[in-house]
Amino acid sequence: MDSWVIAMMLGASLLLGGVALIAFLWGIKSGQFDDKEKFLNAALYDDESELNDAAQQERKKKKLREKNYKPE
Amino acid sequence: MSKTECSHCHLEFDDSVMIEDGGHYFCCKGCQGVFELLNESGLERFYEKAAHTKLSPPTLQYEESANFDSAAFYDRYVTVNDEGFQEVALIIEGIHCAACVWLNEKALHQMEGVIDAHINYTNNKARITWADHTVKLSAIIDMIRAVGYNAFPYDPSAQEINANRQRKDYYLRMAVATFASMNIMWVAVAQYAGYFTGITQDVKTILNVAEWVLATPVLFYSGWVFFKGAYYGIKNRVVTMDILVATGALLTYIYSIYITLNQSGEAYFDSVAMIITFVLFGKFLEVLSKKHAADTLDIMSKHIPSEVSVIEAGKVELVDVNKVKEGSVVLLKSGEKIALDGEVIEGEGSIDESSLTGESRPIYKRAGDTLVSGTTSIDAVLQYRTTKDFAHSTLSNLVTLLEKAMSKKPRIEQMANRLSEYFSTAILLLSLLTFLLWWLWPHDFETSFIVGISVIIIACPCALALATPVATLVGLGLGARRGILFKEAAQLETMAQADVLVLDKTGTITKGVPEVVHVTVFKPFDESLLSALVSSSNHPVAQGIVRYLKPKTLQRLKDVEQLHARGMRAGIDGKQLLGGNARLMQEHGIEVNADSRNLVFYFAINGEIYALFELNDVPKEDSLKAIAAMKRYDIEVVMLTGDHEGSARHIAHEVGIDQVHHSLTPEEKADYIEKRQSEGKRVIMAGDGVNDILALANADIGIAMGSGSDIAIEVSDVVLLSDTLTALSEAITISKTTFKLIKQNLGLSLLYNAITIPLAMAGYIIPLIAAISMSVSSLLVVGNSMRVRWSITK
Repeated sequence: MDSWVIAMMLGASLLLGGVALIAFLWGIKSGQFDDKEKFLNAALYDDESELNDAAQQERKKKKLREKNYKPE
Repeated sequence: MSKTECSHCHLEFDDSVMIEDGGHYFCCKGCQGVFELLNESGLERFYEKAAHTKLSPPTLQYEESANFDSAAFYDRYVTVNDEGFQEVALIIEGIHCAACVWLNEKALHQMEGVIDAHINYTNNKARITWADHTVKLSAIIDMIRAVGYNAFPYDPSAQEINANRQRKDYYLRMAVATFASMNIMWVAVAQYAGYFTGITQDVKTILNVAEWVLATPVLFYSGWVFFKGAYYGIKNRVVTMDILVATGALLTYIYSIYITLNQSGEAYFDSVAMIITFVLFGKFLEVLSKKHAADTLDIMSKHIPSEVSVIEAGKVELVDVNKVKEGSVVLLKSGEKIALDGEVIEGEGSIDESSLTGESRPIYKRAGDTLVSGTTSIDAVLQYRTTKDFAHSTLSNLVTLLEKAMSKKPRIEQMANRLSEYFSTAILLLSLLTFLLWWLWPHDFETSFIVGISVIIIACPCALALATPVATLVGLGLGARRGILFKEAAQLETMAQADVLVLDKTGTITKGVPEVVHVTVFKPFDESLLSALVSSSNHPVAQGIVRYLKPKTLQRLKDVEQLHARGMRAGIDGKQLLGGNARLMQEHGIEVNADSRNLVFYFAINGEIYALFELNDVPKEDSLKAIAAMKRYDIEVVMLTGDHEGSARHIAHEVGIDQVHHSLTPEEKADYIEKRQSEGKRVIMAGDGVNDILALANADIGIAMGSGSDIAIEVSDVVLLSDTLTALSEAITISKTTFKLIKQNLGLSLLYNAITIPLAMAGYIIPLIAAISMSVSSLLVVGNSMRVRWSITK
């Protein structure tokens, strides 16, 4: 009975740790740690207007992409 | 007078000079313009974010941005990505704080057609993606300039992209290895506790399975680099450290699985994870040290001329140098580099040929004279007809020769690599031998196998693998802080073993620019008049006198006229000022005695000579001392120069060099280096000019001065940012100390192995001792490496 408790706790904590690791790997892959200075200052540049900015960029990209693929 | 802060750049100036505008104060029109623009376009939050960071005030004059839209420019710098959008890599100038990055990105994002602007704050490199049918690159660059910064395009080399990808790959592998190893460690703590105090087999099995799960990604994902290295090692028939790490880790892993399933004995998953993690870090340190130098060089070489102004049908057009045909007419402005060989057809002026010949005096050229690519115009404004295309010009020829030289370059194998080859072979054989001995004598297969494997486990190559990278990294870091950039870690070792140091004269031992060495005053005069006169020119001789006089205030002269290759003329209060060489004086009817070893500069007022300045290229202040220091290391110091005998001998005598070779062509310099190498010597070459590049490439270690030509920096192995021979002597000290510590580290790890391997062969190794001794030996090596820092006392 005791050993099952150990197995369960080990499994659960490794799973949680694994999730954090995967998140970290995703962060490296998507270039979030490429620039250490920017990364350290990130909190200063992370409010509503940045979100709006990002959303607007996405919209713009979509629009321009459609334009790119217009049959000539 | 009180000082006021400029509302844009935050620099403080006297009240009187500030421009007032609606309650804000500006130091210049540039700042005012940017401030207004930011407020109009809703970017005023920049000031909130920047707080009181001091910015550089924007410049108002820039070259025409339309050039960025030329086809030649697009060809060279702009790439099209998968989605059909244009991309360019820029270096942004003037970034001081995170707010600057924010402002540039924001301003660009607000532009119609810009899809993405990403600026790296650490190295000021930007990657911009845009749709060319909506917005042009020139508009993007105009925007960056409008908000008070400037941008240069650069060509991210394939090498740099590769290095970045490799680094990221290592980060991922290291993240996985670190995470898993740390978790394995606390599981292992439970294992060890159980080993001493008793543990039931089912709990032990659970812990083993947990370790198994954790060790698997470490071995097969993080450790993949070792399997790859082992594969190439076997293919090339060399026993490398990678083979030892890979076989050791893999055998231990398989054995531990067997133990886990069999539910008896001790599993060694923790050793597997630790070995891979430690050695991976060692490997990464090497990768990291390569990357750093590459970054700095990109920023330094941003001004390489890639385009020239070609005059065709009366119109001036910027053309990619590769596309200029033989016989084209090219316009050369003052200060520009000559990219193609040619013949002057119009105009005149001084050309600085020191980069090719080592001759420190400017050469006067006029119609009919030939121009050589790689040289620089000082004050010459002229048109020349190209006699060769870019691929056949002197500069390109040198580059072709250079590529050949680079492929011939001796590669000295690193000591640690050589050692690890023997070490790995020995360990693998010993382990096999142990297994056979145990098996042939009365032991069952299982026990013999365990003991055999324990030899490999205990011979954990951590300390050996860390011995070189840690010491070199400390050495490289120390060098970097002193402005000595090693491009590759292995060069520290090569440099430490050098026998001959070859120095170029102009720009390496000497300052490379003329300095005043002697002054004769015929009649007292007002120095500020002369200061004002010489300050009006950027000719090396005039600048030499400016440095000598160190003027504080300048008088305002009238009708300043630059007379090409002769001097200058100006007027003040009805007096005529003349300054220049003997020819200028003779042309104005003044008799002078024109005989001197040095460059001469006469100063005359109203046709009467007041003073004579003699200038010459003088050694840098620290050259004598630094050369003496290097001789103490038993290094033979030789001077090679393209300059003529007289000045070569004179300088050599002043700095204490006995061996001088003068009047050499770039090829002859390279030949000399080869000759010494064929005598079995290791040769360091230090130089700065285009005339040195062949020699730099041929030498075992090429050292370039930071102010040297871009190509010299490119082919060199080491760059001295401070341009002094003291830095060169420090570089040698650092390399010698590092090499000594590497040897000590290797000795330490071998000593450790010499003690533990016999124990393992005798079957006395228990897991706890293995783990402790592994960590201790690694810590010893790392600790010992830190001593490199003490090699240079402040």
